[in-house]
Amino acid sequence: MFQLKISLFSQTKALENKIDLFHDKIIDVAMTFKKAIAVFLKEQRSLEYRKLCKQIKNIEHDADGLRRDIENKLYSQNLIPDLRADVLELVENLDSIINRFDEVAYKFYIERPEFPAEYHSRMKELCEQVSDCAENMAIASRAFFRDFSTVRDYSQKVYFIEAESDLTSGKMKESIFDSDMPLANKLQLSGIISEVADIADIAEDCIDELLIFTIKRDV
Amino acid sequence: MDLSYFIFLSSGLFLGWSLGANDAANVFGTAVGTKMLKFRTAATIASLFIIIGAVFGGAGTSRTLVELGSVNELAGAFMVALSAALAVYWMVSNGTPVSTTQAIVGSIVGWNTYSHHITDSAILVKIVSTWVICPILSGILAVCLYFLIKKIMKHSKTHIIRQDLYVRIGLTAACAFGAYALGANNIANVMGVFVDASPFHEVTLGKFSLSGTQILFFIGGLAISSGVFTYSQKIIKTIGNDVMSMSPVIAWIVVISQSLVLFLFASQSLQSFLHSHGLPSLPLVPVSSSQAVIGAVIGIGIAKGGRGIRWSLLGKVALGWITTPVISALFCFIFLFVLENVFNLVVYH
Repeated sequence: MFQLKISLFSQTKALENKIDLFHDKIIDVAMTFKKAIAVFLKEQRSLEYRKLCKQIKNIEHDADGLRRDIENKLYSQNLIPDLRADVLELVENLDSIINRFDEVAYKFYIERPEFPAEYHSRMKELCEQVSDCAENMAIASRAFFRDFSTVRDYSQKVYFIEAESDLTSGKMKESIFDSDMPLANKLQLSGIISEVADIADIAEDCIDELLIFTIKRDV
Repeated sequence: MDLSYFIFLSSGLFLGWSLGANDAANVFGTAVGTKMLKFRTAATIASLFIIIGAVFGGAGTSRTLVELGSVNELAGAFMVALSAALAVYWMVSNGTPVSTTQAIVGSIVGWNTYSHHITDSAILVKIVSTWVICPILSGILAVCLYFLIKKIMKHSKTHIIRQDLYVRIGLTAACAFGAYALGANNIANVMGVFVDASPFHEVTLGKFSLSGTQILFFIGGLAISSGVFTYSQKIIKTIGNDVMSMSPVIAWIVVISQSLVLFLFASQSLQSFLHSHGLPSLPLVPVSSSQAVIGAVIGIGIAKGGRGIRWSLLGKVALGWITTPVISALFCFIFLFVLENVFNLVVYH
């Protein structure tokens, strides 16, 4: 009986750690992405950038493994039956943010967009904003698991930063299309900017759902 | 031992079976419905603790029923239990939340009337008042627990997975406690009328001994347990939609509230403890677990702002307070007449 209790508690602890680790991956990928784009703007497809891209790919790969593990344990051990569907959806949503970071970083690698120097600071600002958005999303999600009364605070941050990122990307696109560069370049840069800004939009969509899950979690 | 005793006891066993099938849903229906406990696990725990509760805690409420009407002939006791069982069946098929307590009380009053025994109005008032007190008390307990648990959950910051484990442990404990309380409180409904005519004698096994009444209650406990295993799953599935909408934490609060109420109305040791300290105590009366559950659910509904409460349920409960005992008393009176005049059996002396 005592052993059974220990085993139950250790299994629970292991799953809690996995969920925490999964959230860490979002913060890791957001920070690495920010760093990678700064390197790209400075050195284009340098060895350093490739290394950072590889790092992002590894984080994405680890996160996939953790996601599968979490989903598997939730189902096989029949845990949180009332909230399981919500938690699974939340984990999937968070994973889609990580995937998008990976896709965008790879897109930079493949397409090699050439940002004129005057757009570098704005591009860095946009990356900073989408990373902040993802990080706050991760913190809000972590709060959902432990202290759901604070989810709302972090959600407000995500909404605010997402609106800021929309402004930044809009201004960037406006000035790009006002410039003299060839239309093909303008379209390529606009596409890339949209892809980056989309990360914040995905985080915002995740937060919308998370707030609903939080209402359901309240007794 | 006379075989006819067991034939007459069959109506009590049937009532016990239907009580197990119906009332077990109140004890662990929410836990099974919310998929926090497996049916087999819950049914095994519940059956075991129903028997323990019946054997070791059932004496108090039985005494009250015997005080209401000491059914002194086996054929009479048979018909009292059968009438109650038939009244319960009829009310259940009409969709009224029914209580075996109200049915058996009605039957006993029917027997008293038929046999020209005077019904003690003081005892009757005591019993009837508990029917109103029971859901109200359960509702109050549920509201207090609801706010307490909400506060604890807010401040403890327990991980959702860990919380799930605690709720499972809590539901298992609540299932055991609820089953004990159900056995202790409701065994009187099933076997109370057979106590006076019980042919069982004390049995001693080393240091362990069981009185004749306890053996009778053990048999009644087995009947309730058989109802739990054979039919309660079907009942849980039937009322599943109501149960499913509850979160596991709310399910736990509901089960604990109704169990506490059943325990408060059944525990002799608690009553003597309160008496010895000069405190007011609750009478030892069998009460309805279904109505305690309804009281708890409505209490939580009010605490949550009154959304989604099915107020029509309250009307049905109040209707059950009147119709169940009246129908049961009528059934008993008519069937006693048939038993005495058609089958030539002595139903009272």
